[in-house]
Amino acid sequence: MGNPGGWKSLLTFFILALAWLAGFSSRLFAVIRFESIIHEFDPWFNYRATHHMVTHGFYNFLNWFDDRAWYPLGRIVGGTVYPGLMVTSGTIHAILNTLNIPIHIRDICVFLAPVFSGLTSLAVYFFTKEIWSAGAGLFAACFIAIVPGYISRSVAGSYDNEGIAIFALMFTYFLWIKAVKTGQIFWGICTALSYFYMVSAWGGYVFIINLIPLHVFVLLLMGRYSKRIFTAYTSFFIVGLILSMQIPFVGFQPIRTSEHMAAAGVFALLNAYSALKYVQSFVTKAEFRYIFIMSVGIAASVVFLTVVGLTWAGYIAPWSGRFYSLWDTGYAKIHIPIIASVSEHQPTTWVSFFFDLHILICAFPVGVWYCIKYVNDERVFVVLYAIFASYFAGVMVRLMLTLTPIVCVLAAIAFSKTMEIYLKDDSPKTNHRTSEKDQENKNERLYDKVGKAKKISDNKPKDDDTLGINIKSVIVIAMLMMLMLFAVHCTWVTSSAYSSPSIVLATYGHGGRNILDDFREAYFWLRHNTHDKARIMSWWDYGYQIAGMGNKTTLVDNNTWNNSHIALVGKAMSSNESAAYAIMRELDVNYVLVIFGGVIGYSGDDINKFLWMVRIAEGEHPKDIRESDYFTPQGEFRVDAAGSQTLLNCLMYKLSYYRFGQLQLDARTPPGFDRTRGVEIGNKNYELTHLEEAYTSEHWLVRIFRVKDLTNRQEILKPKKPIKKSYKKKPKKVSCEYRKCH
Amino acid sequence: MKMATHFRLCVLAIVLNVVCSANQDSINNDLVNSKVERKIDISSHIVKITTSITIENKGSSSVKSYLFVLDNSLQNKLSFIGAVSKSRDEEKKLDVKLTSVANQKDKSFYRIELSSPLGSGKTTTLEVETVFAHVLTPYPAEITQAEKQFVVFNGNLYFFSPYKTTTQSTSVTTTSSNIESYTRTKPVSVSDNVIKYGPFEAREPFTEAELRVHEENNSPFLTVTSIERIIEISHWGNIAVEEHIDMRHSGATLKGPFSRFDYQRNNDGVSSIKSFRTQFPAAARDVYYRDEIGNVSTSNLRELEDSVEIEIRPRFPLFGGWKTQYYIGYNIPSYEYLFNRGNEYGLKMRLIDHVYDDMVVDEVTVRIILPEGSKDIVVDPPYPVKRGSNELHHTYLDTVGRPVIVLYKTNLVEQHIQDFTVTYSFQKMLLLQEPLLVVGAFYLLFLIVIVYVRLDFSITKDEAKESKLRISSLINEVQDAQDKRSALYQSYDDAINKFKSSKDATTFGSSRKKINADYANLTQQISSIQAQLKAEASDAAEKIAELQKLDSQYKDLINSAITSAERLISNKLNKQQYLEADATNTTKREEAESKMEALRAIF
Repeated sequence: MGNPGGWKSLLTFFILALAWLAGFSSRLFAVIRFESIIHEFDPWFNYRATHHMVTHGFYNFLNWFDDRAWYPLGRIVGGTVYPGLMVTSGTIHAILNTLNIPIHIRDICVFLAPVFSGLTSLAVYFFTKEIWSAGAGLFAACFIAIVPGYISRSVAGSYDNEGIAIFALMFTYFLWIKAVKTGQIFWGICTALSYFYMVSAWGGYVFIINLIPLHVFVLLLMGRYSKRIFTAYTSFFIVGLILSMQIPFVGFQPIRTSEHMAAAGVFALLNAYSALKYVQSFVTKAEFRYIFIMSVGIAASVVFLTVVGLTWAGYIAPWSGRFYSLWDTGYAKIHIPIIASVSEHQPTTWVSFFFDLHILICAFPVGVWYCIKYVNDERVFVVLYAIFASYFAGVMVRLMLTLTPIVCVLAAIAFSKTMEIYLKDDSPKTNHRTSEKDQENKNERLYDKVGKAKKISDNKPKDDDTLGINIKSVIVIAMLMMLMLFAVHCTWVTSSAYSSPSIVLATYGHGGRNILDDFREAYFWLRHNTHDKARIMSWWDYGYQIAGMGNKTTLVDNNTWNNSHIALVGKAMSSNESAAYAIMRELDVNYVLVIFGGVIGYSGDDINKFLWMVRIAEGEHPKDIRESDYFTPQGEFRVDAAGSQTLLNCLMYKLSYYRFGQLQLDARTPPGFDRTRGVEIGNKNYELTHLEEAYTSEHWLVRIFRVKDLTNRQEILKPKKPIKKSYKKKPKKVSCEYRKCH
Repeated sequence: MKMATHFRLCVLAIVLNVVCSANQDSINNDLVNSKVERKIDISSHIVKITTSITIENKGSSSVKSYLFVLDNSLQNKLSFIGAVSKSRDEEKKLDVKLTSVANQKDKSFYRIELSSPLGSGKTTTLEVETVFAHVLTPYPAEITQAEKQFVVFNGNLYFFSPYKTTTQSTSVTTTSSNIESYTRTKPVSVSDNVIKYGPFEAREPFTEAELRVHEENNSPFLTVTSIERIIEISHWGNIAVEEHIDMRHSGATLKGPFSRFDYQRNNDGVSSIKSFRTQFPAAARDVYYRDEIGNVSTSNLRELEDSVEIEIRPRFPLFGGWKTQYYIGYNIPSYEYLFNRGNEYGLKMRLIDHVYDDMVVDEVTVRIILPEGSKDIVVDPPYPVKRGSNELHHTYLDTVGRPVIVLYKTNLVEQHIQDFTVTYSFQKMLLLQEPLLVVGAFYLLFLIVIVYVRLDFSITKDEAKESKLRISSLINEVQDAQDKRSALYQSYDDAINKFKSSKDATTFGSSRKKINADYANLTQQISSIQAQLKAEASDAAEKIAELQKLDSQYKDLINSAITSAERLISNKLNKQQYLEADATNTTKREEAESKMEALRAIF
């Protein structure tokens, strides 16, 4: 034990390294069970974009106009994407390649999130260290490494913005705390740089740009204004604002949308406040009061009027719909069904708090209490963060992610503080300790009005001590048990809930594991056996996957920027075949892709999502599509013989169940028995007129239909006049040629 | 059209024989095919024609070579040609070279070098094997899922030869007995799946007559449109092989819908390809089968005695006109293929490997990646191939890159699975380069960390921080000294106890002296530190002063304990008195010690 400082840093290093390793390896379930593959939906777009950037270079990526999405509109990818994720993995790829380490970009994308989870635990360690102590920091780092709430978004293969954004978020907060503590411009600028990275990575940067001003504002209200805060905030705000506007997707939003106005307002307020402080130093109290009231009144009205005026004039955009849905959980369901249709935008259930955070959610309030009890400038921030993140996590399942780090930090503080009390080995120096405690007690007693309880503790300090050792060990063991259960729970949740690639399904039968690879089967078929320019119509969920794996043009995808286009697709899906054919001809559709789970009992299929299609279509075409038509008179949604006729004859139904009525899966069930919905389908033995089956995957999960060409016109025997060719028809001809090609 | 034919001919000529332009032959009219038997096998998707020719030299001078000419309809479709001479149960492989004949530019001639010059009036028997790909045309060209696939073979009823043919016969082996139609030039007989024509007598050179067979053929019409085969050699004992394969169903294309229901229930789609078997060398390990979007989970691996057989199921069944693509790869130990003498190495491996039985490969690119630092590379292919310019490949721990040999070839069939040889020289010492690189990199890393930690890179001097550091180090020293000192107190106690039991005054005296000396040293040390600290941290110095004061009290207590012990030994004090004195002394000492402990902890 030559150098205690050395041991301490070695231990810290070791624990952090282990946390990183544990976090990394617990995210590898999917890779070990399946393979190194990109998961789910959005990651496929991110992967495709990264791949594009790596092959075509950064500037071509920024200027990328993707004509394979949103046909016929296309998508300006460079201007509608947060490029941080792509740039990060592209940079890693470039560095490794210059070192002659030929790792495929896919593997970098797959393992990026687990690697960044290690960086996140480092950031959380430093954050907690600044807030509380190094010990609590180690706890927090270990918690964040394995907590399911964060793992859910950062398993290997889940190549999404959140994977790197949580690191950027916590690192920005750490730097902000550092800036507030030191009051140095250096740290303020660092905060701004880290904020810039966050802006480039995730739309959640709005959380930072509202929370930090709020922190400053609350500090002002609490009378905790200091030069340090002024320096930190002004340097951060100005540099951060300019940097954030460099991201093409963000552009002028920071000065033109309401979400960003709070930061500007606090900036003005802070400057006004410090100006007043300055004035205060050489005027009398009475004068000051006058000046104060005047200036505050004028400033407030000017700011308010400017904001209202600019909003009215259209320079500042009002709150966006997604933002409203944060305050009114019913808002989205009524006004923007497309947001409500996503499961991760649903309000959080109580169960999922425990499921995702386990014991930490119980220890979390304790940490908040300690922070309020021993409050200082930084801890105000933590408390604010905790309050707001809890609220948002309650509104949307997805925002559980922003709550998780602060829960880890505060639970770590709670555990660390408790452990500090109960683990301290003070038996040999009892005299000194107790006397000190007595001192504390006496001090407290000055404020304590009830005078009965204290005597007991005074009377038998000896007994307390002997009992204390037992109690201590019991409590310590209990806490260790809880932590152990937490680790077990985390591993179990990660393994069972968050480690499925969702494009490869596995069933466990008596013959061991059976892999259902239908998605890739169908997408690969599309990739190689349809015309290069073929346009695929499907519900928007599968847009990114079709583009990523099938490399084909889609009409709508997961970047749901154009609601009316999605509604048009929804309308086609919910109309009858001939009406749908007219829409599909208009949209130049060559193939229609539907997901059908009735054969294997896969519940996430298109029939189950169908009501959302109807709702979204109804939003734009209320005359043609009515949700009530798809229900039985009793208000039920059913696909069997009792279902509504509109439903039984709509395109989605007909495509999903095409020839399914002849298929008998089981001797006990009638032919056409839908396993997902557990009923025998109501409309069997029909033929399609305008479409034909092009491909159906092995387990019928993906069904692709070809849109037939128009039938030949009847021959006109003797045309009297030669038909004039109008120039308008030309583009149609081109598309006809495409159709002929395949 | 003519241009295109010409172009194709050129390509063929370049590919099959690099030195073709130099060859010019003339037809020797003395030679006669006295007996020809042709076997045309159209049972799979390739056409194999085996021609057994008995040649007779009717001239006066001996003949060294024989000219073989391809049928006009087939000459652009040739994949492989080989000839053996058959005499007295002995088979001998003969050289076959592309050549040309004046006034016969539109035909492709091959010169077969006879094993020994054929004397006047002598006969000999040759067997020429030719393999053609993409000759069978599906007819109808488009079929629905339920229909069967029919193909047409168009050939020459007679043996196409620059020489007169005395007697000949032809037999056509079809896939099944379901023959839709065939040319009925007599004499002809059909039995099951064999159509026999002939014998025909005395035909002039270059006689042609239609031979058309239309039959049901549901064998897999699978064509590998391209293979890229990458062989990477590591001198650490491994050869990694990877093949990127593009394939297509080249039979009748699917018309209309594909119905999964019918495919599963009625088992139709007879001409579609569900799976096929690929064979790898027996030592192949770590076989993987994947494509652009990940692992293909539908495959089975079986280890046979002389090979590893993998049953490959593409992601989807291949119907006519459908394409697919995959990567397949494995590792094999290098000792089976890599040989060396000193620094000279020789690699002997298959240029292409088995993909499926009766395979047709349109084009192949072979890349052979040799270890970094290989020199004097000589490539010896088994048949003429086009050599691309060498490339460089960079992989783990490479510095200058590995040389890559690139070979191209088109139109390959199973007969092309032959070994190539590459010889090169490689300094064995270079093997150490990569481990040394790793060691060096780590060494550098640690060195940088060491230097970084020990040097001060700040541009301003932080006085407060430095003095803090100095103080803390001094305080550490004090704490150390104090720890040692309290150990000395313990040894005083031990010495006293020992003295009490042994009553040996001299030993006690000497040990006491020794402890005293140590003690004086430590006290001296602490007070010198105290003096140093006075300037920088007065409060710490004060605490040390207090510590010293407590310590001197403690020392006094020890001294009194010693004197009382001495008095006890010299019986100046009775036991009772001593015990009392000792007890008070001990409590005082404990008190002082705990105070000192507390002080020490506060620092």
